[in-house]
Amino acid sequence: MSQLFDLSKAIMNERIRAGRMMVIWPLLAMFILFSTWGLSDPKANLPSGLVIDSAYDVMYASTAFIIFSATMGAVLVSFDGISRDRISGVLEVKLSQPINRKVLARSMVIGHWAAIAIPVIVLNILSLLIIWYRMNSVPNLDELFIHFLANCLLLLWYTSIQLLASSWARDMGSSMAVGLGTWMIFTLLWLVLTTLVAGLMGIEIADLTSPEYLRIEAIVDLFSPNGVYHHMLEWPLAESGRHIHPGMTSLAAIIWSLLPVYLFTSRMAKLTP
Amino acid sequence: MDKSNPIQESLAAHCNGWHDFSGPMESILSLSDVTYRHQVRDTSTWKPWVKRDGAGIHSIDLEIKKGVILGLIGPNGAGKTTLLRVISGIFTHDGNIDKSIETRRSNIGHMPEQVRWEGRSTVAETLTAMSLMHGSGGDVNKLLKRVGLSSRSDLILDNLSQGMRQRLSLACALLGDPKILVMDEPLNGLDPLAQRAFCNLLKQLASKGVAIIISSHQVAEMADLVDRIALLHHGQLLIEGTINSVKDALGLDADEVDLVDMICAATGIDPDDVSMDLSEDSMLPFKRLGVEEE
Repeated sequence: MSQLFDLSKAIMNERIRAGRMMVIWPLLAMFILFSTWGLSDPKANLPSGLVIDSAYDVMYASTAFIIFSATMGAVLVSFDGISRDRISGVLEVKLSQPINRKVLARSMVIGHWAAIAIPVIVLNILSLLIIWYRMNSVPNLDELFIHFLANCLLLLWYTSIQLLASSWARDMGSSMAVGLGTWMIFTLLWLVLTTLVAGLMGIEIADLTSPEYLRIEAIVDLFSPNGVYHHMLEWPLAESGRHIHPGMTSLAAIIWSLLPVYLFTSRMAKLTP
Repeated sequence: MDKSNPIQESLAAHCNGWHDFSGPMESILSLSDVTYRHQVRDTSTWKPWVKRDGAGIHSIDLEIKKGVILGLIGPNGAGKTTLLRVISGIFTHDGNIDKSIETRRSNIGHMPEQVRWEGRSTVAETLTAMSLMHGSGGDVNKLLKRVGLSSRSDLILDNLSQGMRQRLSLACALLGDPKILVMDEPLNGLDPLAQRAFCNLLKQLASKGVAIIISSHQVAEMADLVDRIALLHHGQLLIEGTINSVKDALGLDADEVDLVDMICAATGIDPDDVSMDLSEDSMLPFKRLGVEEE
């Protein structure tokens, strides 16, 4: 356990000081802090009739920006987690060490995840201070727990998917392509896929707010990390209109947490340089 | 291949006999009939997941003895790196090795060819992370001093020269005081002074009982360093012994022989007929694979 913790810490330290963090930190700061500042303005005029009347509503609405920035940060931190070491020859040194490959894989997941989760958590805490300053209220403990849990899990899902993809890639180009490709599918193209599924099931897709479409969207979202993330964030909301049982969301979250990590761990067990 | 070639007959006799060698040194690793084939994509089918056996090493018998420096010599693609990776427990193999993969990983220090250490971590931090993977908990500062990096321990990896990177790779290989040191072309990229320092360190380690296996395609640079050599060609171990015994077996009487002389003597190819066409020098002296080569 100590080896897992110490190694995870060493990997996190290495990744958190990488040059790319000079890009990721400002990106995250602008998306998370600026969105919170804007959304917590009582005079803010939001699109789609969005009404924000509580501290948690601000946090919930700001996750639309976290989805873009934090997940992109996870991609940028982890997309070459294995492939860079493979190209430089460092992977061969690592694979020749007597450490249990499963422990090595788990420490890589934890180390890479922590390297992006810590900045996101710090900025989320700062955004809480902004909400408190602007609205003179903060979300209650249950809401905060769900918000932080959902953020941490979302980053874990992206990190493990990226590391798995990186273990397949033989060069930086394909590593980048796979990393960005997965991010684009779940972040940008999922709406297209959802409307396609709805259309195939005979549901009118002209009205994206109809109960039938929302129902299909909720189900399809269980197959996307971003969708499960939003399902979790909807738990404290009085009425989300999507009617997915929390048990289903929890099950999807557990599968998303375990499956990519399991696949990555299995892959590491037989990885060659 | 000329099966009646007298050199090859003598070579085959010599190779059959080398297993009987019982020197004063204690054997610490024994390979018997070890085979490994790389899995390569089969371009003859539309199924991208289909793979077939590619190049590799075939039926290698080798004994590693305590305190002996063994030079693995062979041309590009001979299987030197593959054999070293099998020995280090990075590749899983067919055939027998008398130590398990776990035991080998614990007791063998592996130094790959020209590792490009990069990033903003310092030398000391990188070695500390590697020692965590090794689980040895050894003294990192002592190790850095041993490879001459103690004054550079705070340098970040991006700022290291090639020689320093080689030293860091060596430090990683020395973690946990290995019984066997496996090194892939360790002298590549080093200036003559650093090469000499490297060789002195290796001799010092061997005198303390560490078995060392070094791969190279340069016979001359190995001559002063190694106690024995093993000649590999097309994944097969052609001959193993002291340089003089190998030269005798191959019928080479010159003081300085190079790899081309050895390969040509072993395979029966005329040195003037060596061409860029790989199929020209693909003859194997006494073993047939029975499978399609890559």
